[in-house]
Amino acid sequence: MTAHLSSDLQSIVIDEVLPHAPALVWKALTSGELTTRWLMEPKGFRAEVGCRFTFQTTPAGLWDGTIQCEVLEIIPNERLSYAWRSGHDGNEDYGSRLDTVVTFSVSATEAGTRLRLVHSGFETPRNDSAYRNMGEGWKKVVERLDTVAAEEGPSQPKH
Amino acid sequence: MMQIEAVTTVMRALADPTRRAVFEQIANSNEITVVELTRSSNVTQGAISHHLKALREAGLVLERPEGRNVYYRAQPGGLEPLAGWLNHYGVFWRERFADLKNMLKEIDP
Repeated sequence: MTAHLSSDLQSIVIDEVLPHAPALVWKALTSGELTTRWLMEPKGFRAEVGCRFTFQTTPAGLWDGTIQCEVLEIIPNERLSYAWRSGHDGNEDYGSRLDTVVTFSVSATEAGTRLRLVHSGFETPRNDSAYRNMGEGWKKVVERLDTVAAEEGPSQPKH
Repeated sequence: MMQIEAVTTVMRALADPTRRAVFEQIANSNEITVVELTRSSNVTQGAISHHLKALREAGLVLERPEGRNVYYRAQPGGLEPLAGWLNHYGVFWRERFADLKNMLKEIDP
């Protein structure tokens, strides 16, 4: 993809203090059973560096919806990092090839546990003609907007 | 993080179904006036103007005054913050964190 040359890598960062002990938060990240409850089922996950596992999500275009993961780093009660790869070269935007890393950092605070998520390695295409021209881009986002609109709570009354 | 804020702004602007319909109509036209937008909707011109202001502030539409008319057109790239994976996972992780907090509360009240 030519977009690669003109793109920057971006990250998603979420940082929150949770009113629970670090050991419990760590368990929520590294127990397959608990991870299934809040994230998705990590098929084949073991808390070992090099372990390859998958998450299954909704397919999009040429991508079958499988997220291929590999444990990159584990420091018990401190840090868990895994590769998060998905998508397909034949897709654009959502569903396109994705090669990213998810890192959870856990640390004790007075109020409980600070949990920081960094999902890094997103390429933001700068020259995406589909989105400059609205037409196609609009069709693609409408579906997701409906979900978001529902999450944002009741919309304002119609005038 | 800036990207996420842009996503939120655009999503807020389009969360209202009426406003979204207005934007869709603008996006499907080359240029369109408030009068034309009002004619094809079932809301007042005042309401349309209000929605146009919100869309303009979210960077989704541009206006071009000419004589007594103001023409509106879609801002090129206005939807870019919503494109692709970054937006998807911005929303995804926010939701998952909410689920994580609920689960921890159940396990450890």
